[in-house]
Amino acid sequence: MTDSLMMGGSAGASGGAPRDAVATFERHRAELRATKRVWNIVALGAFTICLGLSVWISQFYPDRLASGIPRIFEYFGTILPDLQWDVLFEGRTAEGRAVPGSLTFWYTDFRTYIGLLWETILMAITATLLGAGAAFLLCFPAAANLAPAGWVYWISRRFLEVCRGIPEILLALVFVFMIGIGPLAGIIAIAIHTAGALGKLFAEVNENASSRPVEGITAVGGTWAEKMAYGVVPQVAPNFFSYAMLRFEINVRASSIIGFVGAGGIGQELNRVISFYSDDRVLAVLILVVLMVTAIDLISERIRLGYIGRENFR
Amino acid sequence: MLTLDKLTRRFGDNIAVNAANLEIPDGQMVGIIGRSGAGKSTLLRLLNRLIDPSEGQILYGDTDIARLKGKELRAWRSDCAMIFQQFNLVGRLDVITNVLTGRLHDLPHWRSMAQVFTPRERAFAIQALDRLGMAHTALQRAETLSGGQQQRVAIARALAQEPRILLADEPIASLDPMNAKIVMDALRDINRQDGITVICNLHTLDTARQYCDRIIGMQDGRIVFDGTPDLLTTRMAREIYGAEADEAFNEAATSTAIPAGPARARELA
Repeated sequence: MTDSLMMGGSAGASGGAPRDAVATFERHRAELRATKRVWNIVALGAFTICLGLSVWISQFYPDRLASGIPRIFEYFGTILPDLQWDVLFEGRTAEGRAVPGSLTFWYTDFRTYIGLLWETILMAITATLLGAGAAFLLCFPAAANLAPAGWVYWISRRFLEVCRGIPEILLALVFVFMIGIGPLAGIIAIAIHTAGALGKLFAEVNENASSRPVEGITAVGGTWAEKMAYGVVPQVAPNFFSYAMLRFEINVRASSIIGFVGAGGIGQELNRVISFYSDDRVLAVLILVVLMVTAIDLISERIRLGYIGRENFR
Repeated sequence: MLTLDKLTRRFGDNIAVNAANLEIPDGQMVGIIGRSGAGKSTLLRLLNRLIDPSEGQILYGDTDIARLKGKELRAWRSDCAMIFQQFNLVGRLDVITNVLTGRLHDLPHWRSMAQVFTPRERAFAIQALDRLGMAHTALQRAETLSGGQQQRVAIARALAQEPRILLADEPIASLDPMNAKIVMDALRDINRQDGITVICNLHTLDTARQYCDRIIGMQDGRIVFDGTPDLLTTRMAREIYGAEADEAFNEAATSTAIPAGPARARELA
């Protein structure tokens, strides 16, 4: 489209005023684009430097990767079970021994595994409930638009940052020392991390909530807690639920490795078979963990989508 | 008696309300007119302390409303109900709970947190809704209602507060003429029957003339007119509205006057 065409098309293009407006706009736009271009170049430069540094420090070179790949398969070779087709489905013999090469032999400790997997799921549920409860209480003072005072906001935000800043595994290690080996240490560790992570997400949901209902509750003489309970919670509850379910999925994964430091769950068994045997038992446990995590993810996703879908159709 | 003494509110360099002096006796229906940005909303928000004043006093009896804090401030807000242009209901709560929030101030803390209301409180709320012709929507979510219906629920919430003063900030600016008439009729009815002082921001002149005992005109934060509707000459009104005069006088666009017959709330609900 030519310049003259544009001018001709504009309404009320008679006289100099509209042309001046266009010229001013174009000049302004050119200036804006020039500053943007400078910033884009600076950002690209900074990114390239960071990328270079990280490759150099982590020694992420293609030849190292290439030489490492065969070793991955080497390890898989050692943990693959020696299954034999002819005895695959053999049960235990009369003396109660499993035949080598059969599934029963491979999964001798099946009952132990299932018990630990169940423990892992229970750990995740408990930790998610505790963490989400704490996050719920903290997310209102940690929302910039709802906090009763600046210092309350600051303290809640920093507290949440500390909670999610420390890795779960490190927290678990500390709690194992404090209260001993077992799932309780793992639950507390995951709950603290969950409170920090969910608290931030909840607070961000709160910051997007409409202020009108809150103003309505202020105007009837409601207290701060009443403003939250009546003005904010009804708006944000479905989002809170969805985030909590998402966190539950993450926590199932977290509680299946947290046992590496003795904090309960299937991770403890995985750690044991890796350090003591490093044979087909590793793969036996790994398969079960992957199956459990996938199943939980699928179920949780179903619940989440079903819930949100129902909300939208109301 | 509500008395404003040199009430002033600044936003940075901008003076939204400039040394307003007013005396409003109990039971009056007052309309505040003026163009957008004249300070009408700020004045109402100052009255129930959604905004704090920069200077001056708000006296109700002997209490200086401008200095209230905490519990006493909440008690005042509960005495001085507010109706908003955008209704400010909690959309995802049902209508009856929205109305019951009007009782929050009198509830013990644990009951308000657990959302436990007594049958008497529910009955009170239903009566308030019924008065506005909205009792049949009590169990619906507030957000499923039309604008006019939401505003009537908001008025029921205000009634549930058993207020002494009712402030209405542009209550009909988002409504069509028919709903606007229902809402204004309801406000006048509350004023006449319950003796509640009603102070109402209105954008259109004819609505103010038709419903209010007294009209206050604001311009650039100052009160420039205060008198009965018949004292408000066309010249005076033109001055108050300035460039927006034609819009404010255009009765077809935003008026509550409906040409064909009186509308009744129950039929329209």
